[in-house]
Amino acid sequence: MFRRISQAIDDRFKINDDFKKNVLDHPVPPRVNFTFCFGGITFLLYVLLAVTGITMLFFYVPSVDHAFTTVEYITFDLTAGNIIRAIHHWSANLMIVFVFFHMLRVFIYGAYKNPREFNWITGVLLFGIVLAFGFTGYLLPWDQKAYWATRVGVLLPKGIPVIGAFMSKLLMGGDDLGSLTLSRFFALHVAVLPIITAVFLIGHFLMIRRVGIAKPL
Amino acid sequence: MSEQDQCQNQSRRSFLAAGIGVISGAIALGVGAAALTSIGAPAVTNKRQGKWVDVGSAADLKQGEFNQISIVYDAKDGWLEGKIKQLVYVKVTGDDILALSATCAHLGCNVNYDEKTGGFKCPCHSGMYDATGKNVSGPPPKPLDRLAAKIEDGKLKINTAVKEA
Repeated sequence: MFRRISQAIDDRFKINDDFKKNVLDHPVPPRVNFTFCFGGITFLLYVLLAVTGITMLFFYVPSVDHAFTTVEYITFDLTAGNIIRAIHHWSANLMIVFVFFHMLRVFIYGAYKNPREFNWITGVLLFGIVLAFGFTGYLLPWDQKAYWATRVGVLLPKGIPVIGAFMSKLLMGGDDLGSLTLSRFFALHVAVLPIITAVFLIGHFLMIRRVGIAKPL
Repeated sequence: MSEQDQCQNQSRRSFLAAGIGVISGAIALGVGAAALTSIGAPAVTNKRQGKWVDVGSAADLKQGEFNQISIVYDAKDGWLEGKIKQLVYVKVTGDDILALSATCAHLGCNVNYDEKTGGFKCPCHSGMYDATGKNVSGPPPKPLDRLAAKIEDGKLKINTAVKEA
């Protein structure tokens, strides 16, 4: 039955051959090794983070009164909640690691050069977004570690001449690190950053499809 | 490339393709199952807990007629812990205790004792119940909930869980 359904879909949209040609049987240069997987692994981690993040969104409440309580609930009471949170935690940490290895590989192979400069540029922006994800996500449990780490982070921009003090206030949503900070970090973490990431990722992927991956050394 | 090589290559390709399918399937299944379990679990685990609440001395109750009692008890609502307030009508006749939840079966208003009929009347839509809590007229689709009640050491205790009919 599934075969017939997929056949019916393919009869109308003709995607099977394209999918095969562009994904499964896509030719890549010879001597490609496992270091070429780092980008893909990063994307896999992004998908895992999205799935587990959306799951926690069913329970998490971004208010200073309830954030910690709900995180405790997810971790200790909710069925499989500890698994979900652990996957989110470790995927987040590993994503930073794999973004770094991915960049390192691209750098060493010189894959950032013409015609792939824009891949590198979007990639560096994506790297910044991943760090922003990490920074905003770190505050959300609203425990001591989150609070004081974020306090250090939001005060850092103060070192920038002229606009620094304002940027710091913009991050905190006022003079103090409090409920407005939590709200804006939450909004950035679950809505703004994912959308920006998706846009840049699509560009990142389409461009590499157009020019192909760089030949190994 | 000889034909044999091609053949070998082909089976290696399909093996690798199947491997990718199995691995991605396993990841998707694992994470998907954990996510759906978490999202679905509260439907089963977040139960309204029945507990015995001490509502005071049984000697203070008027025998043979309905006493209006307001009970307050701690309740867990997901991650929130709060108090639930509930109105109950209790009639003690000898050893027999009838405890009716005052929550109207229609839309949940608190019903009042109606002296004229000896039953209960809902102020919201005039739903009527008789003295046993049975719905007799108006919109209520079923009788008032009966709660388990007992007298222990001279104290009236009411269970907050609805007694199964």
